Amino acid sequence: MITVDNVSKTFHAPHEVKALQNVSCRVAKGEVVVIIGPSGSGKSTLLRCLNRLEHADTGHIYIDGVDILDRKTNINKVRAEVGMVFQSFNLFPHKTVLENVTLAQKVVRKRSEKEAVAKAMALLQKVGIPDKASVYPDRLSGGQQQRVAIARALAMDPKVMLFDEPTSALDPEMIGEVLDVMKALAREGMTMIVVTHEMGFAREVADRVIFMDQGCIVEEGTPEHFFTNPTHSRTKLFLSQIL
Amino acid sequence: MARVSQQMTRGAYALWVMVFFLIVFGVVAALYYTTRKVDYVWRWYRVPQYFLYKEKVEVRAEIQGRVQEILRSEENALIRVQGDGETGQYTVPAKDLRVDVGDAVYPGDVLGVFQRWKVGILMQGLWLTLKVSLISILLGIGIGLIAGLARISSNPALKWSAVTYVEIIRGSPLLVQIFIWYFVLGTVINTLLAKNGMEQLPPIWYGVASLAFFCGAYVAEIVRAGIQSIHRGQMEAARSLGMSYPQAMRHVILPQALRRILPPLAGQFISLIKDSSLLGIIAIRELTKATREVVTTSLQPFELWFMCALLYLVLTFGLSMFVQYLERRTAVS
Ligand SMILES: Nc1ncnc2c1ncn2[C@@H]1O[C@H](COP(=O)(O)OP(=O)(O)OP(=O)(O)O)[C@@H](O)[C@H]1O
Ligand SMILES: [Mg+2]
Repeated sequence: MITVDNVSKTFHAPHEVKALQNVSCRVAKGEVVVIIGPSGSGKSTLLRCLNRLEHADTGHIYIDGVDILDRKTNINKVRAEVGMVFQSFNLFPHKTVLENVTLAQKVVRKRSEKEAVAKAMALLQKVGIPDKASVYPDRLSGGQQQRVAIARALAMDPKVMLFDEPTSALDPEMIGEVLDVMKALAREGMTMIVVTHEMGFAREVADRVIFMDQGCIVEEGTPEHFFTNPTHSRTKLFLSQIL
Repeated sequence: MARVSQQMTRGAYALWVMVFFLIVFGVVAALYYTTRKVDYVWRWYRVPQYFLYKEKVEVRAEIQGRVQEILRSEENALIRVQGDGETGQYTVPAKDLRVDVGDAVYPGDVLGVFQRWKVGILMQGLWLTLKVSLISILLGIGIGLIAGLARISSNPALKWSAVTYVEIIRGSPLLVQIFIWYFVLGTVINTLLAKNGMEQLPPIWYGVASLAFFCGAYVAEIVRAGIQSIHRGQMEAARSLGMSYPQAMRHVILPQALRRILPPLAGQFISLIKDSSLLGIIAIRELTKATREVVTTSLQPFELWFMCALLYLVLTFGLSMFVQYLERRTAVS
């Protein structure tokens, strides 16, 4: 489904940071991969390279067989197939919840108003807030906003969902409701890549865990492997700090 | 300041309100008194005629002959004059008839008189100011939007063109720009047009162009600042849903930016209305130039200049009310 081959990315401003160094990994269809690692280890950068919000300097990235770094690839088409959920929700504040979920359907997928609304309502039902459809995002709690953001991404019928610390900006009592939605999605067989510090989620849902540090993938394996006998000393150190 | 007014009792507040009105009254009275000192006679009643007046039209005979017949209807009378092998017909209001059947008339004789309302020169000036300002604002929005978007583009050709345009316009006086548009570009364009047998463009085109491009540069900066004030997560969210850059701009960024740029835009448009007073120097008879002309004929400069200022105030106030209405309408929830 996703192949990352020898990808590197260096930021030059404000000072030189090697955010990704020769990263390679594969994600199969229906797999749930959780990426963990200390702050600044390049987790977000890797995720953002997957839908080209950041352009990798070298290497190749294939999504469903499409080389997304190829100049000839229509990146908008790729992005419509790759849903992304941000730490800070990034809902459109000038649109109602319903409009947030229908906008891209109409603009990108060219669906009719009726079709888009039907799809949006079904998804809002799924994430548990159909009653907030006509409300503006600033009237919602953080957890509700993040669920709308998930619905917005799902409305495009993506083949993969990328989550970048979807619960980090939430109050503790709201984390559960968002994780529940993500778990349900995983059970349905969605291919997911999740950057998170929620180790419980990783243990329960992940098929595979990837540990990153300083722009490299240090270790990857099943959750059992990770949480019972990690091999690398850096992994051990990180897990001891976070658990 | 705020604390002082909070502590004020109702009585003290009323007192200071009265003081305010006393100050206003005092200034007006002092002005009046000093103008009387220099023997200025205020004649406000002479002002309305420059907005609207009754014109007296005299209908005169064009041929020599004799009035053959007069056909009266309810209001008008048709006078038929029979001359040497030629006839003339004239319509005048029945009550202001000056001739009878059988009268001999010569060319230039008054056959009848009627009156009609005409728009005065001040009204024409006001209308022209309004028209020039509105057209310049609309063009300025278009130019500013394009230049503002170019300004944040990563393409150096677009970006540097926009920067150069904005800096040149903002770095030179509008008066000089108007001269350049009219005396340099205008001369070139009109000469070229004349050479190709086409009609020349009137000064108002160059006036509007100078104002529109002047306004556009400021609008561009306002648009740029407005767009950049929108969190970049908005653009990323829109793009990650598969929207193209123009789609994201149109549906996500610009609607949000618009709300933030309305207040500074309103300020810009108000300056534009006021700046249009400079166009008088290239023979465009807008409000200020019209006032100057009226002053030279009427010799009532005090009333007329106050009137002129008041009319600008009405225009700018009207515009800021309109923008406030728009702001309320675009406000979310
Ligand atoms: N747009 C950018 N410009 C410059 N440097 C950046 C940019 N984005 C990220 N970096 C740098 O790249 C490195 C990796 O950043 P990244 O955001 O991928 O880390 P992360 O693992 O997601 O960390 P966190 O857990 O704090 O989100 C960091 O040192 C960061 O400062
Ligand atoms: Mg991050």
